[in-house]
Amino acid sequence: MAQELTSINLVAPAFKGINTEDSPLAQDPSFAEVADNAVIDQRGRIAARKGLSVITTNKTVLGSGKIRAIKEFKNNAGTTKVFSVGNNKIISGTTTLVDETPGSYTINADNWKMVNFNDNIYFFQRGFAPLIYNTVATGSSGGTGSTVKVLSTVNSASGLDDSTKFGNEILAAYGRLWTADFTDDKSTIYWTTLLSGHRWTGGTSGSIDISQVWPDGYDEIVALAAHNNHLIIFGRRSIVVYSGADNPASMALADTVAGVGCVDRDTVQATGTDVLFLSQTGLKSFGRTIQEKSMPISSLSGTITKDIIATLTTETESFRSVYHPEENFYLLTFVGRDVTFCFDVRGTLDNGSYRATRWPGTGFTSYVRQDNGTLLIGSVNGIGKYSGFQDNSGSYRFQYTSPELSFGDPAKLKFLKKIRPTIFGGENSNIFFRWAYDFNSSSASATITLTSNATSEYNVAKFNVGQFTSGQFLSRNNVNTTGSGGTLSINMESDINGKEMSLQEINVLALLGRTI
Amino acid sequence: MPTPEDFIRGGATAAGFALAEKGYSDLGDIGEKALKQFSGATVDPVTGMRSGGLADVLEERLQFQPYTVTTATGSDFGMMQQPGQTLPDGTVAPGEMDYQLTLSPDEQAFYENRLAGAGGMFDAAQVGTADREKEVFDRMMNAINPQRERERLALEGRLQSQGRLGVETSMFGGTPEGLSLAKAQEEAYSENMLTAMTFAGQEQQRQAQLGSGMLAAGYMPQQQLIGALQPGMTGAEQRRQATSQQTGAYGETYAAGLQALLSSALGQAGIAGGFGTSMASAALGGLFE
Repeated sequence: MAQELTSINLVAPAFKGINTEDSPLAQDPSFAEVADNAVIDQRGRIAARKGLSVITTNKTVLGSGKIRAIKEFKNNAGTTKVFSVGNNKIISGTTTLVDETPGSYTINADNWKMVNFNDNIYFFQRGFAPLIYNTVATGSSGGTGSTVKVLSTVNSASGLDDSTKFGNEILAAYGRLWTADFTDDKSTIYWTTLLSGHRWTGGTSGSIDISQVWPDGYDEIVALAAHNNHLIIFGRRSIVVYSGADNPASMALADTVAGVGCVDRDTVQATGTDVLFLSQTGLKSFGRTIQEKSMPISSLSGTITKDIIATLTTETESFRSVYHPEENFYLLTFVGRDVTFCFDVRGTLDNGSYRATRWPGTGFTSYVRQDNGTLLIGSVNGIGKYSGFQDNSGSYRFQYTSPELSFGDPAKLKFLKKIRPTIFGGENSNIFFRWAYDFNSSSASATITLTSNATSEYNVAKFNVGQFTSGQFLSRNNVNTTGSGGTLSINMESDINGKEMSLQEINVLALLGRTI
Repeated sequence: MPTPEDFIRGGATAAGFALAEKGYSDLGDIGEKALKQFSGATVDPVTGMRSGGLADVLEERLQFQPYTVTTATGSDFGMMQQPGQTLPDGTVAPGEMDYQLTLSPDEQAFYENRLAGAGGMFDAAQVGTADREKEVFDRMMNAINPQRERERLALEGRLQSQGRLGVETSMFGGTPEGLSLAKAQEEAYSENMLTAMTFAGQEQQRQAQLGSGMLAAGYMPQQQLIGALQPGMTGAEQRRQATSQQTGAYGETYAAGLQALLSSALGQAGIAGGFGTSMASAALGGLFE
């Protein structure tokens, strides 16, 4: 007598993102072994990320270089100007890139950090004289005209003569600029007088040497952050928090954290309620527990810790990150490795981690979120927007691999008969399915083209009224499968080329066999 | 031819002249004796001892009598006359008067110590105050330095616990608390310096006053001794006056005796002289009638 097929539903597969930390067999099917170029969409499904819509049409000044940093400057009058750096130049514009490098100013590195402060934008990079741009003819900054200038040349500038005090980190907070991470001084932070980003001496300017404050005896300042009237100083292996930073002369040590530091200044992102940063052991955040006078640190990349560490230790260029509340993600890019990890910040898993996906080979080299919510992405192609479903008019591959599925009983042999995925979007796209038994000891694959075979009321005019003029494409194609094994993993890949795609569920029809 | 009467008359005349001459001679002897008794040397008719006249006796009796005043604390004041000096003409000039104030050993030591102390004080008062100011200042600072150090360490500890040890500001130099402490300490420093300067000046004044006081105290035994002279001199003067009066009385009595003796001798001489004159006159009168 024929045995009845067992139907196993994988609802919202990979809804919890990648998990490479737990045992494959013990994993919840909601995790994914691989989730490349994917995000968790608004309905909690794994979906293809958006693409890079390049808007730069003239990138002559960039040459073969890459946009290494982007910053949107908006002055008090509301005038917006996008600055970026690359090819050893200060660049402005998005469609046509314009060289804004001051005359006779030589740049041989693109590790700039730009901050907006008091109607100006400031450019800081270790070993380089800081730059300033403003559109105000006169004012406290003393700048004139609307060109990028060397900060020390503006009126009333002070404290900018010592080239060893050109910091790599710059922070605009509490009415001042703060800088740290100098060529020969890794423990001192300098701040300007109030509201004057060009006056580093006189007034209420000052400095603090925290070489005797590090909890581990020695560390080096990597990054600064402002949060809840605290100045957070990130070292490589420790963190020091000062309270009362609105009055830096009397700000006091509020907390220190040993053993956790920040890898790079450009991984620090303030989310409004928290501060995210990349440590040597993964993505971390400060909990907002000021009332309890402590700063517990939670790991936000607990499901991909090893992957992060492996990527981190082999990174040779730079790190870039962005927090984008509209897309609900924090992107962390290892530029040299050309890998981006996407953390969904809407909620955390049981272990406190964000749901993570991976974007390999994107070529993204910098980010900025504009005030209007647009995410600008820098790359070798110039500047683009995070929109559409093509990367610079090309496709990119969306990939999902499930963990090893035992369907509750790894001792029973499974004869896979059909896979029936429910996929939204991706009309007419080719989907490559691959199923493997017993940890890839054997596998098979099939390709399907997404066509609609589901009854849909969309695009059908009811009552002679075209109420529903468009609808989301849904496909539930069957994939006939072969083979058998104790455990099973399912891989799905598709080139995203203009069509969004998300995986709602996978229905697996299998025949349960004998006990192995 | 002379008659017997003539002879008698002549004899009487001669006897009268002789009596008159004797009376005259006795007057000279009386004057001589008076001179000898008053000023010349005489031989005591009883003892046969030779002595000066009344003047010598009086001179001897009125000679200066040395005396000494001794205070209750042992100091003394002596007044005496140096031996007379024989002059080239053989006369003897009286010796000079010699006054000697002698303090007792204790008072002498007291005097010397006070004078030495006063000298030291005056010497100290004359020295510039700079060194003393520094010395006083150092002592004051040494007294408060432990507290200053404790305050500094407390602030350092507080700043360290607050992670603010490395703060440098354009407005305060370091931290506001550091500036406050430094300001307080500098104020104390300045105040101590001013206090030390004031103290050194006042101390110099005190030293001068002490020197004056010690100098005055040093002369106190002498003053006391001099103060004691008056009663002593009064006693000596009283004694001298008594001696003078006694001597005066002696002289007057002695002179009165001599005067009586001389008057008696004068009377005798007068009688003899008068009788002789009468005799001679009577005799001469009958002769030439």
